[in-house]
Amino acid sequence: MASLSQGSASQSSASQSSASQSKTSQASRGRASRGRQLAAAGLLGAACCAWAAYPLAGPLRTVLLVLAALFVLADMVRLVTSGLPLDQVDVFSSLGLRVAQSAHTVIDEVPSAEAAAVAVLILEATHSSRAWHTAVLGAALLCYLLATHLAESGAAVRALRPQLPVLAAGLGLLILGAAAALVPAAAPGLGSGLLRVLAAVAAITVAALALPL
Amino acid sequence: MTAPGQMTTPGAPAVPGLPTVPGVGRPARLTPRWGLSAHARRLLTFGLAGLAIAIITRRAEFAGAAAPALLLLAAWRRRRPGHIIATVRASSGRIFESEHLTVTVTVSGQGSYGVELVPHPHESIEVDPGPLPAEPMPDGTARAKLRLTVSRWGRRPAGMCEIILRDQWRLDEGRVMLALPRVDCYPRPATQQTRVLLNRLPNRLGEHPARTTGEGLEFGGVREYVPGDRQRRINWPATTRRGGRLQVNTFAAERSQDVLLLVDASSDAGEPGSSSIDLALRGAVAAARAYLRSSDRVGFITYQWGVRWLTPGHGGRHFLKIAEAMLAGPPSRSRETRLDRLPRSAFPPGALVLVFSPLLDQRFVETLRDLREKGHLLLVIDVLNGEPAIGRSSIGRISRRYWRMEQEAIRFSLNELGIGVVHWDGRQTLDLPLAPYTRRPLASRPRARI
Repeated sequence: MASLSQGSASQSSASQSSASQSKTSQASRGRASRGRQLAAAGLLGAACCAWAAYPLAGPLRTVLLVLAALFVLADMVRLVTSGLPLDQVDVFSSLGLRVAQSAHTVIDEVPSAEAAAVAVLILEATHSSRAWHTAVLGAALLCYLLATHLAESGAAVRALRPQLPVLAAGLGLLILGAAAALVPAAAPGLGSGLLRVLAAVAAITVAALALPL
Repeated sequence: MTAPGQMTTPGAPAVPGLPTVPGVGRPARLTPRWGLSAHARRLLTFGLAGLAIAIITRRAEFAGAAAPALLLLAAWRRRRPGHIIATVRASSGRIFESEHLTVTVTVSGQGSYGVELVPHPHESIEVDPGPLPAEPMPDGTARAKLRLTVSRWGRRPAGMCEIILRDQWRLDEGRVMLALPRVDCYPRPATQQTRVLLNRLPNRLGEHPARTTGEGLEFGGVREYVPGDRQRRINWPATTRRGGRLQVNTFAAERSQDVLLLVDASSDAGEPGSSSIDLALRGAVAAARAYLRSSDRVGFITYQWGVRWLTPGHGGRHFLKIAEAMLAGPPSRSRETRLDRLPRSAFPPGALVLVFSPLLDQRFVETLRDLREKGHLLLVIDVLNGEPAIGRSSIGRISRRYWRMEQEAIRFSLNELGIGVVHWDGRQTLDLPLAPYTRRPLASRPRARI
């Protein structure tokens, strides 16, 4: 009985060590994957800001660029600190920890990714019309939002596979919208420009309704 | 005595506004609160902002930029389950401090939605892992196992668990709160192998060799054979030495003793987790286990503003009774408040009384003196491991010195009365401070020196 128990004990210790090794390797793989997702989101956010700001001229664009960059940075901080145990900070904790916790709370409550997307769109709107540039920015912003979502949820890229047809169709609509922007206006004036936009929206809507989704 | 879990507000930081249903034990029907996920909100903001800018600036390319996000939202099909069935099962409802408890949450009726659990544990409970996705099972249910570690003794609910349902595109979210089971966490027993024994044991069968001869295993001596003695007990070498007169071996009788564990919960000093009550209860649990293993009868008395007692008993079931008594709430004021008025069954004469106390309450110290003067044998395990936080000023130094002298005087006076006082820091085994008293049996009624 004793030898049997010793044998089972050695077997269980061996299985425990292998299980702990596999758990460690899984954890390191998970950390690397999350790091890649965070880096992708950050780079896409920075690229969107730079793309929308180019060429940088005038104080308004500078202010908008700074705002957009700040929101992207805040979103990155939110994503990075989402796994940290800052909830355990109380009034007896050190000043640095309490400040970090307050900052984390503020960043967590501000919808920074949405604000970054809107700021980038406004920054792009300060330029004169450049349809294909804006189309590329739209695609990049969509990628940024998807990357943020993946980094936030910890899901793998393959989680987007069911949405691929819809995303491809969406890119088609984006191209359609950019092409519609290249159609010259019938006449100068406010009404003509508005009609052109409404026509583009109608064309996009019709195309979306015609899609077999 | 108040358990730590009862001192604080039980429950967990439940998310306000979410429906909360206790789901412990049997299946609970839960209705989630649905809403857009953060991802869907971001896509919606992006799409609407693009459309608004397109109209304001009269530039159609912004409408095109907003199109993919809006198409994603438009193509999304919602098949929300109206309700789900959740079951919570715990591997055990009773654990000791620092032990693990596995809670299995099973969710059914979620359809194609993925299930994620976000635990909100009680403040002295840790959950490993944190948020985790539930694994889909072949029978269509989703199951997740939470590993709870309770860091401090007490009777408390484990907390709440938030169930989050997400569709495949992660655009739709349903949330509902589920109560985790109540956990009875007993104090972690300290290590104690040796036992303090009395030299006069009651006439009850046990495992301790007594002075009287009996049917035990420990050799006591030889005596001359009398008719009726068993032949197998004849000591032939002694018989040969004594000229052929038959000699038989005698053995020590084996007896058990009554041990009373007296825990002073009238004052609690020290850091939570290693305070005087924590140490007192851990020491009492260790002593109860050690004495019950050797078939002694163990009783348990809690002294606070009232007295709660458990009459001496033996066996594994009685150990659980003692542990349960430790988690019980404070006694009501109408209960007996004096130890010397306890019934004889609760405070049997001749019992060994092990007192776990920080000796901070003067009333309790006086009670100990009274008990000693009535002939009870007391052994105090001092569990005070801290000093009052007094400043470094000269008055503070004098105050601290005065306080130390007062504490020393209390211990000295108890020693003078014949009450042994040993100090235990909670980290070392209980055998070390008790070593001077475990080497030889204690005189059950030593004469007081006053």
